[in-house]
Amino acid sequence: MTPFAFKTPPVSRRTFITGIAATGLLALTACSSKPKAALDISSQNVGAMENFAADMQFKATEPLDLGLLWTDWPDTPVKDSWEIFKEIKARTNVTLGLTHIPFSDAKEKRSLLISAGDAPSIIPLIYTGEEEAFVSSGAVLPLSDYVDHMPNFKKYVKEWDLGTMVENLRQSDGKYYMMPGLQEVSVPVFSLVLRKDVFEEVGAGVPNTWDEMRAALLKIKAKYPNSYPLADGFEGQSLLNYAARAFGTQAGWGFGNGMVWDESAGKFKYAATSPEYKEMVTYFRGLVEDGLLDVESMTAADAGGGSASVSENFANNKIFAASGSTNTAIDFSTALDKTIGAGSYQVGLIPPPGGPAGDTVEPRNFWHGFMISSKAKDEPNFLALLQFLDWFYYNPQARELLRWGVEGKHYTKDAAGTITLNKEFSLDARNLNPNAKVDLEIDLGFATFPSESTESRKLKESYSTPEDVAYIAAVLSTRTPLAPAPPAPLEEAELEQASLTGTPLKDTVDTNTLKFILGQRDLGEWDKFVKELEGQGLPAYVELMNSARERFADKA
Amino acid sequence: MVIQTDLAKGVKMRRPRRPSRLRGSRDSRGYKIFTWVNSSLLIVLCLIMLYPFVTVLAQSFSSPSAIKAGMVSFWPVDFNIDTYIAVANNGMFWRNYGNTVLYTVVGTIIAMVLTTSFAYVLAKEHLRGRKILIGLAVFTMFFNGGIVPNYVLISSLGMKNTMWALVIPGAISVFNLLVMKSFFENLPKDLEEAAQIDGLSWIGIFARIVLPLSKAVIATMVLFYSVAFWNDWFAAFLYLDRSELFPVTLFLRNLLAGASSAATEGAAAAGSTATALSANIQSVTMILTVIPILCVYPFVQRHFVSGIMLGSVKG
Repeated sequence: MTPFAFKTPPVSRRTFITGIAATGLLALTACSSKPKAALDISSQNVGAMENFAADMQFKATEPLDLGLLWTDWPDTPVKDSWEIFKEIKARTNVTLGLTHIPFSDAKEKRSLLISAGDAPSIIPLIYTGEEEAFVSSGAVLPLSDYVDHMPNFKKYVKEWDLGTMVENLRQSDGKYYMMPGLQEVSVPVFSLVLRKDVFEEVGAGVPNTWDEMRAALLKIKAKYPNSYPLADGFEGQSLLNYAARAFGTQAGWGFGNGMVWDESAGKFKYAATSPEYKEMVTYFRGLVEDGLLDVESMTAADAGGGSASVSENFANNKIFAASGSTNTAIDFSTALDKTIGAGSYQVGLIPPPGGPAGDTVEPRNFWHGFMISSKAKDEPNFLALLQFLDWFYYNPQARELLRWGVEGKHYTKDAAGTITLNKEFSLDARNLNPNAKVDLEIDLGFATFPSESTESRKLKESYSTPEDVAYIAAVLSTRTPLAPAPPAPLEEAELEQASLTGTPLKDTVDTNTLKFILGQRDLGEWDKFVKELEGQGLPAYVELMNSARERFADKA
Repeated sequence: MVIQTDLAKGVKMRRPRRPSRLRGSRDSRGYKIFTWVNSSLLIVLCLIMLYPFVTVLAQSFSSPSAIKAGMVSFWPVDFNIDTYIAVANNGMFWRNYGNTVLYTVVGTIIAMVLTTSFAYVLAKEHLRGRKILIGLAVFTMFFNGGIVPNYVLISSLGMKNTMWALVIPGAISVFNLLVMKSFFENLPKDLEEAAQIDGLSWIGIFARIVLPLSKAVIATMVLFYSVAFWNDWFAAFLYLDRSELFPVTLFLRNLLAGASSAATEGAAAAGSTATALSANIQSVTMILTVIPILCVYPFVQRHFVSGIMLGSVKG
């Protein structure tokens, strides 16, 4: 350490969160008790509507101030003067008081604020699983207790058939502590970005399975011997994530706690020791042996939309298929314009190829939702807060407002429901009306993160590019999402136990998966690898998960 | 910074030996080789350290698509200053920039007043309880309350969302304090005794005799403190909740780390919003942020080298 760095040195993300969660736990158990379920509506209905129902405009009966945690994206710095806040005020009589947290360290700051009891009432941008750390401390409210006051949520969970998934949010006490963003349709965000023109050129076409993919890559390699046609750019995590689904297992980003539900046995099994996992690893080992997989991109990750060198190689005919989202496809196109020239190539996202397990993709997903800070429970306007959030997150009109602004003023809607942005407004992030002076997002605050959460298919398609819409349609029509794994929530002490064993297990799996694929370890040592995992406490870990499952099943 | 100090040490240590080496021609050749190897090594090191800086500078003048295609290394491709204009027109950037200047100036002044006076007191060997005071200071080098307790403390002192949360907790850096203390200990005691006989009080001695004699160490400490305050983002990140109060380092960090954290696990989820910010904008902001503090170095370097030497060699 240099002698002049006298302030607290930055700590690693994981250490920081663990540290904060641990200390916060102490601080909070000392001064707060678990929130009680009952809500006294007669005394906490300040500003609330009496007959609030689904699809109805919420308007507080008297002006309310509600606190909201706002993550400040560097490219869209938040301004109090944004029209979005004025419009919300006009429609709902609610003034949102913002606490800004920089996007770079948003999670750390959020943990700190919650742990110190300083968080505003509304804590948005919560992805499923992120709430677990705060459950036992009682810092956030069990929202399942209040679901009866949220008619929009109930309506759309039912209409979009998300009931089972909501059940899966329940913690070991049988309650759920976050309400997610509901998605009418959900497709994998990350899949393969393909140089379609080159796949056509070599006569392979767009591959539909991993076997076809291999055949296509071989043809490309024959034509471009200096290339390594397939790449990841996310340390292999993204590629393995969607590939694993086709092989009937889970890996990479989607590895989770490593437990795969074995329907026939009615039990969990560990993904990495299964024959399916081995089959997947063997497949990719084959690609590396034949020089079809860019080895460098499996170990390196870089800023932004994947590895910089992947986009470089993509632009220079060294990579022809790589992991990414539609944004990555745009990035690659920008780079290709520079090297090959616009119009002389074709790049697009394709549905993840199928495999031995069929044309399966990851289970349907929620998008980010919210938690409520437990101090809000004692506020006189608690009922109004619930109603406001129900409107804000789940009412279709509210969703359209957050995404597109005010109808007539910012956008128009034709009889078929197609939304067009008015000419005076641009939306740079989606490349709409690039010449207009006022940006819907940067200058007015619409289309910022709150707009993402809950979306009907129609709304999602309204801002997507035609390629995106085609990708969504292709995935929905040709792929089957897996059923979500049954819930097996752990109790507080077990959570710790599980992360103590689970984390090193996952590290071993990640390291060795790459070693096997890259050929640094011989596949003949697979049994030895399984033994190593067992030596690290795998049987006890699996047992722990299965007992949690049984306990939960018994309760239900 | 480290290189400069090492260089300085090297020069000082070599000087007395130099005449003796000049006597024999073999020594002289050996010395020449040594200097040659030494210089080329340092030049290589220097280039290695300059390279990323030059690249960032080149990127800041290049077009985003050229950067993405990996065409920029030493020289700008598709020269443009549009991004500079865009960043210069960003109100929040300048507001945060102003905050940084304010926090740095106020922080450095407070830190200098507190550190010099504390160090001077600690340098007086006849002071009763001096060891306890030193012990208290040194204790904080190794132990602290942790992030959440500190946060709760600052919060209940009412310093949250004010400049004081940034400048007061970091006002005394124990490392700087000890360097300064050893500097003061080495000032000739006779001077102070003479001043005492002439009727100066302790405060008078400190202000009129000791401080004017300590310009070197003061300049060094000003540099250390101002660089530290300029670069600090962590305290601001913890204690400030309004983006208009942020220093520019937090603005920059948001820009840089924001883009790279998108590549980690959250990316699968955050995919749609985490638009990768152009490397171009990042470079421009980086350049604009480091320039002022880079400009400080040449002016203070003279004091800096002699100051740190005084503290370390004699202490």
